[in-house]
Amino acid sequence: MPNLKPLRIGLVCPYGWDAPGGVQNHVRDLAEYLIAQGHSVSVLAPAVDEDSLPDYVVCAGKPIAIPYNGAVARILFGPIAFARVRQWISQGNFDLLHLHEPGIPSLSLLACWAAEGPLVGTFHAAAKRQKAIFAIGPILEPVIEKLSVRIAVSEAARATLSEHLETDAIVIPNGIYGNRFRNGRAKKEWSGNTIGFIGRFEEPRKGLSVLLAALPIVSRFAPDVRVLIAGPGNSEDVMKDIDPQLRSRISFLGRLSDEGKADFLSSISLYVAPNTGGESFGIILAEAMAAGAAVVASNIPAFDSLLGGGRFGALFAREDSADLARTMIDLLRDDAKRNSLALAGQEQAKVFDWDTVAEQIFSVYEMAIVGSGSVGLASENRSWSRLLNRDGGQT
Amino acid sequence: MKAGLTFGIILLSVLWYLSFSATRLDRLHHRVETSWANLDGLLQRRAAIALELAHSESADPASSLLLTAAAYQAREASIDNRSEAESGLSGALGLLQNDLASQNNAANQELLRELSALTQKIRVAIAIHVDAVNRTRTVRQKLIFRSFRLAGTAPLPVTYEFEDDVL
Repeated sequence: MPNLKPLRIGLVCPYGWDAPGGVQNHVRDLAEYLIAQGHSVSVLAPAVDEDSLPDYVVCAGKPIAIPYNGAVARILFGPIAFARVRQWISQGNFDLLHLHEPGIPSLSLLACWAAEGPLVGTFHAAAKRQKAIFAIGPILEPVIEKLSVRIAVSEAARATLSEHLETDAIVIPNGIYGNRFRNGRAKKEWSGNTIGFIGRFEEPRKGLSVLLAALPIVSRFAPDVRVLIAGPGNSEDVMKDIDPQLRSRISFLGRLSDEGKADFLSSISLYVAPNTGGESFGIILAEAMAAGAAVVASNIPAFDSLLGGGRFGALFAREDSADLARTMIDLLRDDAKRNSLALAGQEQAKVFDWDTVAEQIFSVYEMAIVGSGSVGLASENRSWSRLLNRDGGQT
Repeated sequence: MKAGLTFGIILLSVLWYLSFSATRLDRLHHRVETSWANLDGLLQRRAAIALELAHSESADPASSLLLTAAAYQAREASIDNRSEAESGLSGALGLLQNDLASQNNAANQELLRELSALTQKIRVAIAIHVDAVNRTRTVRQKLIFRSFRLAGTAPLPVTYEFEDDVL
């Protein structure tokens, strides 16, 4: 990446830094990538434990857990947080602010309200049209409008944005460190006719029940099939609904480390993402593809576009266990087909490499800072204050 | 007394909202101007690269003529037919790009690399500019902006029709 001069970049993460989540991972990876490129980066985020933060993160306070959009969101707002945001902006002397998820009531929205100058916003979420948006739309609109450039992480997120706020965005996918996954070491205990699943499996929208409902049929055609489930959750609740004869086919691995995840994805034959909806991007699919697993995913819009409509991974009708079983059997029994799908996926996964993605983000930064000064506080630039100054000068 | 206070508060909030809206529109106008200046600069740079490619030794006369004509058209086009001229240049560059890339000419390879970096930037710049123009036009159509003439004497930005496949 040709860097003419290092920039001072402020990133705002709306969700609690200590809680796991796609947005937090994205902000962390992006911040570390930009720092490695020689830029100075400061991240403003809510956090519970202020002492364990990396030195580029500034804590804005403790997040509040509230139900939002069908899940619990750890976000932060209020007058004290707003004061912290203003302080961070005025002291940071940034060339550019990159706000993540500025459409939700958290730090990014506050920063968007408080700041003036080159602002870039990234929209991660994809959601169905909500009635509430009619009420907040008019308030949100002038704020979101301040963003010089809007980025959506997927076509689904872009559609959500244009539906909710009637504004367009440039699509730049989420990034992964592809090498970590390409260099994952296949482990014997996870190899063979194995089907992998990673995620908080207790959440219905992750769709584990769809996968488990397909298992009886699959095990008839592929007797040595095994399902490996990684992720936090209570496995007993899941196991008690399973046919006792099939229980030995299912293992729970608990939560995996980053390294463990790469090894896991490099070992398994098939990675299955049976999500029923609510996904905006599907970073785990990109990771599985990079690691060389053949991917089978439900045909929700985000996965459909990530898998190129089926070219880089197989799609099945969402919530349809019979269709999932058919797709899995087809791939498990045909090694050539599975391998060519995995290879196509691995090749495609390169577009999600941070090297590629960060370069795209950086070219957006370059466009955003053209012709504008650095980031300041909005109130210093209001037209009435300029008007008052002018009047004062005339009289 | 009470009525006066209420009236005062309402008046103040109306004034605040008007000032807020004026700032908002001012920001949009500013963005239209800067994004256009930026896009224009990038397109000029592209035309210059096209001319350099046309005048390079390895270009055959036919492609050289084609590129030169397209580049001059793009440079001299007025705002109304600018889009068409730029599309023409994109087309000419697209036609010749494969031919030029297959030649082992170091200078040309360098130009082509710069061209592809530029193309990426132009794409973003177009998106930003089109968005700024559309946004400004939408906002200016709103009742409050029209009735209080918040746009002042600023001209209505021209929609610049770029087709998606322009590059």
